[in-house]
Amino acid sequence: MTRYLRLLRIFTGATLSAQLEYRANFVGALLASLGEVGVALLGLGIVFGQPGITSVGGWSFREALLVTGFFMLTEGVISVFIQPNMSKIADAIRTGSMDFTLLKPIDAQFGVSARHLNVLRAPDLLIGLGLIAYAASGLSVTAGGVLGAALLYASAVVIVYCIWLALSTTAFWFVKTQNVAELFNGVFGAARFPVSAFPLPVRAFLTFVVPVAFITTVPAQAMTGELAWSVALASPVVAAALFVGTRLFWLRAVGSYTSASS
Amino acid sequence: MAEYRAEVVIWMLSGTLSLVMMLVWMAQAQAAPGGQIRGYDAAGFATYFLSTWLVSQLLVVWVAWELDFEIRQGTLSAKLLRPLDPMWTHYASHVAERLVRIAPMLVLVTAFALLSGARFTTEWWAYPAALGLAALGFTARFLYEYAIGLLAFWTESSTSFQELAWLVYAALGGMFAPLDFYPAWVQAVAVWTPFPYMLGLPAQLLAGKAGPEDALRGALVMLGWLVVFWFLRLAVWRAGLKKYGAVGA
Repeated sequence: MTRYLRLLRIFTGATLSAQLEYRANFVGALLASLGEVGVALLGLGIVFGQPGITSVGGWSFREALLVTGFFMLTEGVISVFIQPNMSKIADAIRTGSMDFTLLKPIDAQFGVSARHLNVLRAPDLLIGLGLIAYAASGLSVTAGGVLGAALLYASAVVIVYCIWLALSTTAFWFVKTQNVAELFNGVFGAARFPVSAFPLPVRAFLTFVVPVAFITTVPAQAMTGELAWSVALASPVVAAALFVGTRLFWLRAVGSYTSASS
Repeated sequence: MAEYRAEVVIWMLSGTLSLVMMLVWMAQAQAAPGGQIRGYDAAGFATYFLSTWLVSQLLVVWVAWELDFEIRQGTLSAKLLRPLDPMWTHYASHVAERLVRIAPMLVLVTAFALLSGARFTTEWWAYPAALGLAALGFTARFLYEYAIGLLAFWTESSTSFQELAWLVYAALGGMFAPLDFYPAWVQAVAVWTPFPYMLGLPAQLLAGKAGPEDALRGALVMLGWLVVFWFLRLAVWRAGLKKYGAVGA
């Protein structure tokens, strides 16, 4: 365990020093972050800008803003921690450099998941946390609510990671996986609104088929204290099930891997 | 392009913003007293947003990414030796992709329309008019995205500028809501930009909410903007080539 923590520190240091060399890219990343938050806020702002609309799916503006905050935070988690690693899996398989990862005396899943970091998109994390703090300041939020939200958001991150890993692991059979990730981004875009803002069949799809509801709506509900116990328990269960499932899928994929040359 | 048929379908499905907004507005309309918001009921929203989705599929442009890659990798140099501006190769490949896209697009729109209850206009002239506006809109978008892509001669952030340009296009084009839902001052600004005429107007034509005179006015505005973007692209291209030569030599 301590070895993995030490590795994590080395990986982080290495990618940090590699990225800080290209300072001009920071401007670009900042523009992209502003674009993301712009889309999220515009969508919400125009809905609430209509006369007579005071809630979307039963959520007030502040509450819906909380969901947008969790959405931005998750965008940040994806762009900083998940996507930089996952997008390299397909390349590593195609070029054969996956061999090196598999040969190392550490768990290969850890190796492909923790090696890279895109610090340039860290503003997304700050924007997300800022939005959450701003939205929460206008709501009556208890310490227990914040704690619950933090715990459920941890499950949310596990869910996002598992979906990305599962999609990227398909690269062991299909050469290209970029498009599948694109498709996930499309569905994930629905998470900028509370799940109750959607018609019923879509709500079911976003909860049970692609568990997007657990990623932003559920932590926000925990924060406002409107979360049913059954849902609060479902989130970690879904996360755990997905984790075990993707772990098995990953092991199977690695088992069938025969290197790029053979 | 026909080789990428599976990808084309995935790309089409990943542009979900107008579909997400459609579902949110439909639910809002159903919950609203009287079942409608500003004259749109659930089916009205479905019609508008499906039309927007359809038009935005015809306006997809990725040339900025390709230019960014070509300039950074230097593959542009080989293309410069040809006696034809490389722009036309890009333009042709975009048009070809449109032809591949059209069949699966119609299937998806029909399916979505059946599911959501959208009703498109029965006026025959609206379809060629919307298609014509979309063609003008696509060319305008192609030209300004080309100019943005050429910024790669100077900066590494050209694709980020392209993302911001997309945001303005989506917002003022009416992808979040019909333009008359926006605050009055935003509408006042938007009518001076090309965006409402390339996305919102053709969508309104398909939804039967705009007349022939709107289409004509939109076409004239778009032609004006095409001239502007044409010279903008040309100016950036000429300035960029000087810079590129300086680096390559």
